[in-house]
Order: sequence, then C-alpha cells, then structure tokens
Amino acid sequence: MLAAFSSELVKLRRRGVLLWGLGGGLLFTVLATVFTIERAVNTLQPGFHGHGFRVTVAQLSQPDGLVHGVVDVSNLVGIVALCLFAGATASEYSQGTLRNLLIRQPRRAELLSGKFLALALFIALAVLLAIAVAAGVAFALAPGKGIHTSAWTSSTGLNDLWHSILHVYLACVGYGILGTALAVLLRSPGVAIALGVAWVLPIEAIITGAIWSNGDRWLPGQLLSALAHGGNSSSSYAHALVTLTVYAVLTAIGTLLLFQRRDA
Amino acid sequence: MNGRPSHLVPNQEPATSGQRTTSPAAPASSPAGKIPGRETDGPAVATSALTKRFGERLAVDAIDIELPSGVVSGFVGPNGAGKTTTIQMLLGLVRPTGGTARVLGHPVGHPAAYLDRVGALVESPSFYPTLSGRRNLEVLTRLGRLDRARIGEVLALVELGDRADDLVRTYSLGMKQRLGVAAALLPDPELVILDEPANGLDPAGIREIRRLLRRLSDEGVTVFVSSHQLAEIETICDHLVMIHQGRIVFQGKVDDLLAAQHSDLIAIPEHSKDLVKLAELCEQEGKAAHVDGDVLRVQASGDWAAELNRRAMAAGITLRGLQSTRASLEEAFFAVTERKDR
Repeated sequence: MLAAFSSELVKLRRRGVLLWGLGGGLLFTVLATVFTIERAVNTLQPGFHGHGFRVTVAQLSQPDGLVHGVVDVSNLVGIVALCLFAGATASEYSQGTLRNLLIRQPRRAELLSGKFLALALFIALAVLLAIAVAAGVAFALAPGKGIHTSAWTSSTGLNDLWHSILHVYLACVGYGILGTALAVLLRSPGVAIALGVAWVLPIEAIITGAIWSNGDRWLPGQLLSALAHGGNSSSSYAHALVTLTVYAVLTAIGTLLLFQRRDA
Repeated sequence: MNGRPSHLVPNQEPATSGQRTTSPAAPASSPAGKIPGRETDGPAVATSALTKRFGERLAVDAIDIELPSGVVSGFVGPNGAGKTTTIQMLLGLVRPTGGTARVLGHPVGHPAAYLDRVGALVESPSFYPTLSGRRNLEVLTRLGRLDRARIGEVLALVELGDRADDLVRTYSLGMKQRLGVAAALLPDPELVILDEPANGLDPAGIREIRRLLRRLSDEGVTVFVSSHQLAEIETICDHLVMIHQGRIVFQGKVDDLLAAQHSDLIAIPEHSKDLVKLAELCEQEGKAAHVDGDVLRVQASGDWAAELNRRAMAAGITLRGLQSTRASLEEAFFAVTERKDR
C-alpha cells in the first residue's frame, strides 16, 4: 500500500492537480471569508438570526468567528474533493494507465487503498492551506470592520479552529469516498464528477424538499454538510458521524470488491 | 531466469548486431518447452483450454499455448482475433471464463506471484500526458518498488534520454511507443510481453525495436510479441503462435511453418523456346510446372533444384537461373487460416 501511496504522490505534483486541487478550495474559502467579513453588520433585521454570509460583527468576534465563512462553504470544498478523487481515479480507466499500474501492482486492494490515502493526504494539505490563508485574510480584514480578533486566538478559539479543520476534513474524505466509488463504478471522470455533483447538490435538495422531508437525516450529502458544520438543526454531529461511517465502510467494501473483480 | 546476466543496459552491443539468429525453438508438442543450451525449468507461458467470453461473444476459444523460455515468440492474427484478450488474461488484467494458464510457473489467478518478473506493453501506450516521460516511469518504479536507477537505463535503451524530461503530451506516437517499451523493461524482466510494439514507429524505430528484442532474447529474456505485421514477426521471431477467430491455428517454429508451405522452384532457361520442353521434363517426374513469362515455375522444394539442373543439362537445356522460393509468413498465415475456415 505504501508503494501505491508513494507512486500516487508523483502524480499529484502535476500542475493541473495542484492548481485545481489546492487552488479550488483556496478560492472558495478566501472568497467566503472576504464576503462574510465585508458583509458583516452591526445588527440584523428582527427575526433573522444570521447565517451564511449575513452575520453580525458580534458573531464574528466570537471564538468561532475566524472560520465562519470557511465552514459555510465547506460543501463547495467537499465538491472540490469529490472532483479530485473521482477525476484521479476514473482517469486511470479513461487514459488506460490502470493497466500499467495493475501490471506493477496486481494487488488491487493495495493499489486503490494507497491511491486513496495519497489523495486523502493531498486533500488534508488543501484544507489546511485553504483555512490558513482564509484565516490570514480574516485577520487582515477584521479590524477594518470593527471585528475583535482576540477571541480567535484564545484557547476556545483555537479549539474551535481545530475542530472546524477536522470536521471540514472528515467531510472532504467522505466526499472523496463518494467520488472514488463513482469513479470505479462509472470509469469516466466526466460522468463520475457530473453524477456526484448532481447528487449532492440539486438531487438531494429536490428529494428533501419535495419527496422525503426526513431525508436530510439520512442522505449522504446532507449528512456530510452536517458533519462539516459540526452538526446542524437536522442532524447532530454524532448522528452524522456514525451514519456516515457506516455508509463509508459499506461503500468502501463495495468499491474494493468491484475494483478487484472487474476486468481492467 | 537461471544464469541470466544482470540488467540489460544501453551501450552493450548485442552479439547478433540485430541480425536474425537461428535460436532453436522447441516444438509446440514439447512438454517442457526447453531450449537446448538454456537452463530453463519449463515453458514461460502455458495455457490449457483458456477461454474468455464477453457476453455472447467468444473472444478466446479454449486455446492451448506453450511458449518456450528464452526465445522470441510471435503472436499473430488479424485484428479482433483474440491476441490482446489473451495477453490481458496472462497479465491478470482480465479474468478467464474457463481453462487454466500459468506464467513463469504460476497460475494467472495469482498475478502477484509472477508480475514482478514480467514487463508488458498492452494495447496502445498509455501515460499521464502532463507528466514527463521520466516522471511516468517514476510512477511505475515506485509502485513496483523497483530500482530508480533503471529509469535512466531504460530511457537510454529506447533512445529517449534527451526527451525524458519533456511532457508526454508533446511526444509523437512513436516516442510514446518507445516509452511503453521502456516501461516494460523497468523490472529487468524474465518475460516481456509486448502488444503491437511497432505501432506508430518509423522504419528506423522498427529496426531499433527489432534489435532490442533480439538483444533481450540473447540475454535470456523470453519475449512474447503480438503483431499483425507478419513480415516483422517473420524477421524477429523464432517461435510462433497463430490465432484466428479466437482459436490457435498454429504454434511452433517459424521455420517449420514456412517449410511446410507450398514452395516453388523458378527455372530460367537460356533460350525461352526451351520453356515448354523443360516443363515436360518436370511433369515426367511428377512435378507440376507452368510457364510464367520467361520463367518456369515448378512446384517442388529447393532440394529438387539440383535434380532439375542435371535433367535440363542432359536434355541440352542450359539454365541461366535457378532459384527456390519459400512462402512468406503472410502467405503461410493465409494458407493456414483458409484451411481452418473451410
């Protein structure tokens, strides 16, 4: 597995992967941070408690205010992860490079696991980089809007920051498992990415909105969103984590079995 | 492979200098597939009733192949005959529907047991276009836990050293093909399986591949090369496996196949008025002959040339030319497949 991991790292140094993998997450998190801080107001209209990019200066001055914007766009960072995992895996089929890999590493489970771990490491770096840059931008913009940053560096603030990083990262790994499964199933980067993005964005929204009102407690995209936010009004963090862990294990087993048994 | 020299490296001239050698190949019926003078434990590849079916389509139909170790074996057949599917089964990429196969003594169901000693190029060369040739080989080197020093060696061997750091997307098809061969040689393999290695190569590139394959064979490496370019196969291979519509129609020594084909003697008398008389002489000996322009074509093997010359002289006919022609591999292929089709 380590050989497959090491091998995959060579491929992840490609300019396109670096640009889209690191740059995509970075772009979303920095833009979200800028919008959140720039649109912060002193008081909200009555009845509006503040969410998304519409929050108060007081809310942003809280210990968890540093990554408020980042967490709000965690779904988009997750989409970047889904695209990265699906693209990297499915392109091995579409480019025909999978045959070369399987000749050098015929233990297919090790090959796919090593590849997944390398991508998971890459996405960890992408999340860290994105949050670090977003935090830097937040510290730079906050004084201009009268946002107090002292709470951000308190022990509570650092604890919130760490948990936010962990939650966003775990959600990204979940999106990655979904992307990998679709890639192995469909063997086409375009189709895998399109179907994955369509499922977690409009399709799940339609299902929860029009067909299954309780779906936001069980549908994977909704649960990944809850996980990234550390829990939300539909699902507690624990419920999201446990349910997604079960989904992840079942998906991983199914994906590995398919990858091992199907002709390359 | 026992007693095989270490890594094949560039700048070591092969003993044959690219010329065809007459390495003896074991006949297909040989149970062990041993080559005289070589220390081998058995055939490099042996299949028994190996079958692959894709839905309703039978791609490979119960084939029995035995490849002798240490020689260049050709795998010929038209497009869609089942060559690539067979190769993919040998490499563990495709699961057989039926039958058995062993590569380097191990069943194809356990490719991890032998693939570290096998190099292969399957179908078209496939690489990451936005990585350099060197980086592409590094991907495979790391994956197979191979010696990184081999990258430079194999790149030099296929004469890609000066373009090794360019992105693969800037390579011509011929360069990608050579990179594919380099990738196959990375593990310093005992068995090299190449699927259409001459595709996209210019004549000089084809000649280099031919030299390389002979050199590998001289090093004791078993080479199994598929192609539909029969003239190329005839030039480089000692042993041949012929597949047609998923079935093996011939396997054995190339020389045996060609010798078994219909051959002609071409006699050219000094005076063309003697052609008819010469034809009558041949027919008296039971040899079919017909006049073809200024020459007489006689259906007889080369062994009968001396007899024909003696009889012509005795009859007062002077021959200014006498040569035997042997069927080409292409002619032999069509002869064999047409017989099977009937």
